[in-house]
Amino acid sequence: MQKNLVPQVVKLSHRSVLGMLRQPQSWAPGLFFPLLLAAVYASQFSKAVTIAGFPFPDVSFLDFVLPACVIQGVLFGSTNSASDLAADIENSFMDRLLVSPVARGSILLSRLTSAFMYGVAQAGVLICIFLLFGANIAGGAASIISIVVIAALLSVSMGSFGIAVALRTGSQEVVQSTFPLIFVAVFVSSAFFPVQLMEGWYGAIARKNPLTWVIDPTRRMAIEGFSWGDLGQSLGIIIAIGSIGIAISIRQLRKRLVRAQ
Amino acid sequence: MSSMNSPYVPSIGVVLAGIQRGLIRLQRIPSLILPAVLMPIFFVVAFSGSFASIVELEGYETDKAVNWMTAWAVMQGSAFSGMGAGGLAGTDLENGFFDRLRVAPTRPMALIGGLVGYCVCRALIPITAVLIVAFAFLGADMPGGIMGIAMVYLSGIGMAVVMSFLVLGIVFTFKTLKSLAIAQIIMFSSMFLSVGQAPIQAIEGWLHHVAAINPITNVIRMCRQGFLGEVTWSITQPGLIALLGMMAGTGIWARIRYKKVDA
Repeated sequence: MQKNLVPQVVKLSHRSVLGMLRQPQSWAPGLFFPLLLAAVYASQFSKAVTIAGFPFPDVSFLDFVLPACVIQGVLFGSTNSASDLAADIENSFMDRLLVSPVARGSILLSRLTSAFMYGVAQAGVLICIFLLFGANIAGGAASIISIVVIAALLSVSMGSFGIAVALRTGSQEVVQSTFPLIFVAVFVSSAFFPVQLMEGWYGAIARKNPLTWVIDPTRRMAIEGFSWGDLGQSLGIIIAIGSIGIAISIRQLRKRLVRAQ
Repeated sequence: MSSMNSPYVPSIGVVLAGIQRGLIRLQRIPSLILPAVLMPIFFVVAFSGSFASIVELEGYETDKAVNWMTAWAVMQGSAFSGMGAGGLAGTDLENGFFDRLRVAPTRPMALIGGLVGYCVCRALIPITAVLIVAFAFLGADMPGGIMGIAMVYLSGIGMAVVMSFLVLGIVFTFKTLKSLAIAQIIMFSSMFLSVGQAPIQAIEGWLHHVAAINPITNVIRMCRQGFLGEVTWSITQPGLIALLGMMAGTGIWARIRYKKVDA
């Protein structure tokens, strides 16, 4: 089974991506809401860059929120793969998959691959729309590619937690109910306002939120230009988060395989 | 039939029964109300925390972000509660119960009134929850006193009625629960394109013009006035007119779409 792993992953990933494409209701909100927020915030908070202590006083607020909106959009859709996996469990497709001679690892890998492809597509589309509306990315192609890769890998790492939930519960509803956690994680970070200007316990949490550690270097790459150091910091945090999520997913897959026997 | 002249059951009874049914359902499935309570609480905490320094800009008329953001969170909570009417009607349409209601000797507006009344009752929960969090944990002020609180409830209830009518019209059109996604997009868009998070003086570009003509802007101002100072008729009146106008418009929309359920 293992020597056929790659073609199986390709086939199952293809199925997963097709399934996602055929359900626009699952990916459309991930495009609509970041664009709405970016458009609204760019107008509402355009003068915020003049506040004393704002870290990037010479840029437009649209440039400031661009990386965060891309990451937000990708995160909102990061549960799609997990939700589809839960649907497979609910409608017994998973049982049929398990009685076939398919490599078990390909079940997990295909979902992570589709999460990555979703992240690349969504980040690419969002950046194109932002550029059309006058956003500026200082580092050029290197920064754009870096933002897309960061967003896509973040989709995989956060999606892996959703996949673990899907494998554990086998319920789409439970997977969907994890969405508010992502919402909270995005808002209690530096996504829409610099943490330097946040006060009290809220600011303290935002400063310790790993998403802030991903968003800040990504933002520097968009505003100040590409830097290997910033790329390394973002990817390091994402890989650390993803390693935990994937380890939990593998554990849950093994448990499900034991239950299925 | 309680009346010799009318073939209909008295509407008030139907409305009250509709409200009671919705509330019993809410009691049995408490998870239905959780998003409508937790989301606005999160909004008031998150926006007050994230944008704590934004009040330094001109036009905010307060030195605490929570005084500005609480009204915004109340409006969001009320709008979410209004979605409950669509959720209940959509479920009934999908499982066929709504067909049985429609062949009962009741007036359409009584059925719609029951759903809207249920949402008004629902809206009281997030409004109260947001106010408790804002005053008890975030240090919000209310220089407008009891009248300021009354304005918060009046605006919140009004917004719940408007959103209920709007969502019902959408659900009657598409006859499926999935159409709530469309309602959510309309709701979010209309709320964000207002002075919810920033005063009109601070907003620039296209959004300045959109927010200026968006009727929700006047409702939010009416809701917010007690947090910023005394309650005045000059701010209350445009808010009331906007609410009544939106209620009339969305009410007619819901009634027209109700006729199309069989189409």
